Amino acid sequence: MIHYQQFTLDNGLQVYVHEDHTTPIAAVNILYNVGSRDEDENKTGFAHLFEHLMFGGSRNISVYDEPLQRVGGENNAFTSPDITNYYITLPAVNLETAFWLESDRMLSLSFDPQVLEVQRKVVIEEFKQRYLNQPYGDVWLKLRPLAFQQHPYRWATIGKDISHIESATLDDVKEFFFKYYIPNNAIMVVAGPVKLEEVKKLAEKWFGPIPAGKPYIRRLPAEPIQEHARYMELEASVPLDAIYKVFHIPGKSSEKYYTGDLLSDILGRGKSSRLYDKLVKETKLFNSINGYVSGSVDPGLLVIQGHLNQGVSIERGEEEINAILAEIREQRVPELELEKVKNQAESTIVFSEVELLNRAMNLAFYANLGKPEQVNQESEYIQAVSPESLQAMAREVLRKENSSTIYYRAKQ
Amino acid sequence: MLNRSIPPAFQTLEKVHLPQVQSQTLANGYQLHWLNAGEQPVIRIELIFKAGNWFETGKGTSYFTIKMMNEGTSKRSARQINEYVDQYGAFIEFNHGQDRVNVTLYTVIKHLPKLLPLLQEIVIDSIFPEKELQNLKKITTQNLKVNTEKTSYLAQTRFRELLFGEMHPYGRNLYEQDIAHIEAPQLREYYQSAIRSQACDILLCGNIDDHTLALVRNTFEQVPVTSPLPDNSFINPVVPSLPNNKETLEKEGSLQSSIRLGKRLFTRKHPDYFKMLVLNEVFGGYFGSRLMKNIREEKGFTYGISSNLVTLRKEGFLVIGTDVKKEFTGLTIDEIYKEIEILKTEPVGEEELQTVKNYMIGSFAGSLNSPFAIADNFKTIYFEGLTYDFFDHYIENILHTTAQDLLRLSNTYLQPDSMLEVVAGGR
Repeated sequence: MIHYQQFTLDNGLQVYVHEDHTTPIAAVNILYNVGSRDEDENKTGFAHLFEHLMFGGSRNISVYDEPLQRVGGENNAFTSPDITNYYITLPAVNLETAFWLESDRMLSLSFDPQVLEVQRKVVIEEFKQRYLNQPYGDVWLKLRPLAFQQHPYRWATIGKDISHIESATLDDVKEFFFKYYIPNNAIMVVAGPVKLEEVKKLAEKWFGPIPAGKPYIRRLPAEPIQEHARYMELEASVPLDAIYKVFHIPGKSSEKYYTGDLLSDILGRGKSSRLYDKLVKETKLFNSINGYVSGSVDPGLLVIQGHLNQGVSIERGEEEINAILAEIREQRVPELELEKVKNQAESTIVFSEVELLNRAMNLAFYANLGKPEQVNQESEYIQAVSPESLQAMAREVLRKENSSTIYYRAKQ
Repeated sequence: MLNRSIPPAFQTLEKVHLPQVQSQTLANGYQLHWLNAGEQPVIRIELIFKAGNWFETGKGTSYFTIKMMNEGTSKRSARQINEYVDQYGAFIEFNHGQDRVNVTLYTVIKHLPKLLPLLQEIVIDSIFPEKELQNLKKITTQNLKVNTEKTSYLAQTRFRELLFGEMHPYGRNLYEQDIAHIEAPQLREYYQSAIRSQACDILLCGNIDDHTLALVRNTFEQVPVTSPLPDNSFINPVVPSLPNNKETLEKEGSLQSSIRLGKRLFTRKHPDYFKMLVLNEVFGGYFGSRLMKNIREEKGFTYGISSNLVTLRKEGFLVIGTDVKKEFTGLTIDEIYKEIEILKTEPVGEEELQTVKNYMIGSFAGSLNSPFAIADNFKTIYFEGLTYDFFDHYIENILHTTAQDLLRLSNTYLQPDSMLEVVAGGR
């Protein structure tokens, strides 16, 4: 259970306070309601590039990290298709430093051309390190546009193409900043040994003077219902053949999300899951296999991915996967198995609440969906899933026409 | 009017409260340690054995023994073990390290009584089925193949091999032919001597009350213990001689090179340990470090670069690691040596040193962010024969380190010709 209190500044910044007096450390989490799904299709990778630029100095503070380190604080950030999230942990006695730093970069960045040049290079290296220099690293660059044809989830957060990052200009940067990095497009969570009144005072002092911007209203194209199975073949020098199969599934903005989540758990979470048990343990066709959901806000993907053992054809592997999918469509999941995935999901939630920073992030995430109370309701939603709703979900989602498949072949 | 260019006043933490772990010896010699902390109804239970690379006779024996403990007892098949653990939403891990191995279970507290008997069974009754062993060998071999495609893996494993020698427990790597040679009888023998016969350490943390303690005590006090495994005496690293201490593993087609550069140093017991921690931090220990500033922030050669002071039970070493665009490999290495030269000749400025110290203290306080992390600190001192003094004086030792100390350390420990340099990818 995460307790919280909330207030909103006149400029629209929503502030949530989660008090926990058992630690000397405070967490400050700022979520900007912008992700790679909000990008122009000709300027992809921008939300993420921007995350890097946010550390390159703001209007009144030339460097971001050092003043924070000087007061014993740490920070980091991540960008997803849905959001960009920045977080700080620091000794609570130095809480005001976090307000000072975060408010100045919400006010305005320094827009230093040198910062753009360097971060552009860093991001390109990140692109190579994560997506090109790893076996199978490029698969999501191919899989996304196969599964999504309209919705901007069709490009990866790092970007569609390195050239988009290479050609980003300072004007692009400014435009992006003043469109999305405004108080009325952000959620702040302050957690730790803090008091609501203290946070209110600090928020008014540092964030109050920042002007509101033009509200960002998201209008994204919905992904049309897929009507035919899609296939793609890739070949690269990787150790083993692999298969990736994805299906469209409800996103976190829907209550049905939890049913899809449990469905993926039954199929592919851990060693007792159906796919692993049958295909790795029993028939030994696969070296590894798992299933999960992408966890996106808009309708996302249920993913099945596996590496085949040497000498087993991808086609054979796919047949076996399909047989397991047919079974879950046709036969109701036994109560005991459903109880298992519910227990797993619940324990994941409880463990995720052990760390203060995670609690702050979770709260910010649901607050951004407009449903902060949902941070404490996930267990209820999970418990409400029944064998019937699970089967209905399986029938709706795990259809051939709703699937996209990549055969990733190892070059001989 | 608010002046945003002036930072708010701040304080340096001078003391951090570190809750202490309590210990008790059970009738059979098992050591039970526990820490009651945290608000969530969760528990982590670890069974920790003196085993690992340091204690093994045949290559890979220790690794495969601990991993095979998940693969069947005389009462339950591998599948049944997995199903059972998953049924309660628990997580079980079999971790293998250089100096010890552990079986770790995470669960919400209400399911613990159901899970303890299984843990006990794994410790006294694993049977090492042939079929599961063949499967595990196959999976391990495949994973190894995936890893050897990665320059970072190649550089890292070769670095250790050259640092300690291929036969040293800390330098040994598993290769395909080693995996092929693993047989069940040698694992059973190792299991018998390192797991079944030895009194282990049990470490509980999370929501612990008397009832839970009694449950754990009753479960493990009955386990018969015969003799402890003798500690191997100190093993001298035998380091191969290399021209210029440099090696390059060419990997065609890779876009990046992985660089590992460093040398053997010392353990936590060395008088220069804390000061060296500070020096490492300045050099490449945090995001604002000199290496990060120079090589990522100014030059953009890499996504990240860091230096680490790694301490094992018997040895320690310094390693600087980064993945860079292949064509920048040489330039990056030059810059690393330039930074070393600066550390050796110019005292670290007062402001920078203050920042580093405050950062280290803050991140130490921040690292105690869960009952699990607090218990991990206990493991650090307990298994290295240190006491809570180590942490009690942690902050003080950091605060007392001076720029002169760092200058002396740089000149003592960072001579360029003592550094080993491994590059995977290409120069």
